[in-house]
Amino acid sequence: MIEFCRVTKIYNRDIKALDNVSLSIDKGEFIFLVGPSGAGKSTFVRLLLREELPTEGRIVVDGIDTGRLRRSQVPFFRRRIGMVFQDFRLLPERTVSENVAFALRVVEAPRREIYRRVPQVLHLVGLAHKSRAKPAELSGGEQQRVALARALVNNPPILIADEPTGNLDPDTAWDIMRLLVEINQRGTTVVVATHAHEIVDRLRRRVVALENGRVVRDEEKGAYGGEV
Amino acid sequence: MRFSTWEFYLREAGRSLIRNRFMSLASISTVALSLVILGVFLLGAVNLNNVAGTLENQVEVTAFLDEKLQAEEIAAVTARIKNLDGVREVNYVSKEEALERLKEQFGERRDLLDSVEKNNPLRNAVEVRTKTPDDVKTVVQELKAMPAVAKVSFKEEIIDRLFKFTKAIRLVGLAVVVLLVGATIFLISNTIRLTVFARRREINIMKLVGATDWFIRWPFVLEGMCLGLVGSLPAVILVARFYKWLAASVYQTLPFIPLLPPDAVLGCIQLLLVGIGVLVGAIGSAISIRRFLQV
Ligand SMILES: Nc1ncnc2c1ncn2[C@@H]1O[C@H](COP(=O)(O)OP(=O)(O)O)[C@@H](O)[C@H]1O
Ligand SMILES: [Mg+2]
Repeated sequence: MIEFCRVTKIYNRDIKALDNVSLSIDKGEFIFLVGPSGAGKSTFVRLLLREELPTEGRIVVDGIDTGRLRRSQVPFFRRRIGMVFQDFRLLPERTVSENVAFALRVVEAPRREIYRRVPQVLHLVGLAHKSRAKPAELSGGEQQRVALARALVNNPPILIADEPTGNLDPDTAWDIMRLLVEINQRGTTVVVATHAHEIVDRLRRRVVALENGRVVRDEEKGAYGGEV
Repeated sequence: MRFSTWEFYLREAGRSLIRNRFMSLASISTVALSLVILGVFLLGAVNLNNVAGTLENQVEVTAFLDEKLQAEEIAAVTARIKNLDGVREVNYVSKEEALERLKEQFGERRDLLDSVEKNNPLRNAVEVRTKTPDDVKTVVQELKAMPAVAKVSFKEEIIDRLFKFTKAIRLVGLAVVVLLVGATIFLISNTIRLTVFARRREINIMKLVGATDWFIRWPFVLEGMCLGLVGSLPAVILVARFYKWLAASVYQTLPFIPLLPPDAVLGCIQLLLVGIGVLVGAIGSAISIRRFLQV
C-alpha cells in the first residue's frame, strides 16, 4: 500500500530530515511512527501526501509513484488519503457538519451523497448530536473527532494521523486512539505518527522508530522504547 | 461541473464580499471611477475616428472658378479638369449650392446665414477627387495653371495634421487605458489578496482534502468578477448620462460638430465597459491567488 524506497529528504542543502528510509506498509496494517521531536515523522507524512518530493528515492502510494505524478493529478491522489493533524485544522466559522461536508464538496460529491455520508461518519465518531455546533464550542477531543470524520468521509483507503493526540489529555487521547483502531478494523490502512509512549506500548502494533531521519527499528507488536 | 458546486462557489464569494465590505467598496469605487474615465476616453476616440474618417472621404482638392465665367465655359472647364491625369471624380458645386450646404451644416441656427443670402460671397467651384493621395500635388499644379481657375485649396495638410493628431491621441489614449486597467487590476488583486490571506487556512484545508486548483480559485475569481461587475454598473450609467447630455447640448448650440448620436455608440461602449470591468476583476483575483496555490 505504501512503499518508501531509499528515500532521502534534505532541506536547505544540509538538513537531512529523512536519511535513506526504506519502508513497506501493507494494506490494512496499523503502524506507529515514533521518535523524538525532529526525527522526521512529519517529513515522512508530507512526502507521503506529496506536499513535497523526496530529494532521493521513490515513494509509491496505492500504486502511484508520487515522483511521477503530474501537478494536476495531485488533488486526486490526495483524495485517497485521509489526514488528521495535531492542531485539528477545522474551519472555525462553520458547523461540525459543514466542516465534514467540506471534504465532500471539494471533491464535488452529489448533494444527496453529502446528506447521506455526513451523518454517517459523525455517528461513527460519536458526534451525531453535535452536528450543529461550531468548533469553538467543542472540547479538544471532540474537535479531533470532527477532523477524523472529515478525513474519513471520502472513504479513503489510507488514513494518516500526525500527532493526533498531541494536544489532548490522556483519557481523550485514548478515545481517539480507539477510534483509529476501529477504523483500521474496518479495513483502512492507518499510519499514526506519535510520541505517546503509553498508547504505543499498550496497543502492541507495528512500530517504526525514527531517529535523526533514519529508521532505527521496525517491529511487529512493538513498544515505544524498543525491547520490553 | 455540478450545479451544487457553482452554488457553493457563489456562496463562498458572497460570504467573502460581505466580510470584507470596506475593501470591496473601495475596489468597486475604483473600478467605477476607472471605467468612467475609460468610457469618456473611448467615446472621444470613437468620435475622433469618425471625424477623421469623414474628412478623409471629403473632397481633397477644390478649384474655385473665376467669377466671370459663363455657364458653357464652366462646363468646358469641368470637362477639362475631369480629363486631367490622376483625377478620379469631379463635382461642380455652384455658389448657391455651396450656401445651401452651409445652411444644412448650421442646422437650427441657419438664421445666422440670412444676412449673406442676398450677396452670396461664395464662389462656384469644382470639387476634385484624385485617384490616389499622391496625385494631389500634380493635379493642384495643373489646376493652378488654368486661367479659368481663380484659386485652388486642398486639404492635404489639414488631413496630414489631423492624422498626426489622432495618432497622438490614440497613443495617449492607449497609455491611459493601460494605466487605468493596470491600476484597477492592482486594486482588485489587493482586495482579493486580503480575502485570500484571511482564508489561507481554508485554502490549506481545501488542498489537504484534495481540492483542485480551479476549485480553490473559482470562488475568488467570482468574487473579483462581482467587484468588477458591480463597479461597472454605475460607470456605465454615468457615462451614458454624460454623453446624452453632451450630445443634446452640442446638437443645439454647435450643430456643425459631427458628434455621433448616442444611440449609435452607447450600446457598444457600455457593453465593452461591463466586459472590461468583469475581466479586470477576474484577472485581479487570479493574480492574487497564484502565490497561495503554489505551496
Ligand atoms: N520545511 C522545512 N525546512 C527546513 N527544515 C525542515 C523543514 N521541515 C522540517 N525540517 C527539519 O527536518 C527535521 C525533521 O523534522 P520533522 O519531520 O518535522 O520532525 P518530527 O515531525 O519528527 O518532529 C527537523 O530537523 C526539522 O527542523
Ligand atoms: Mg512533527
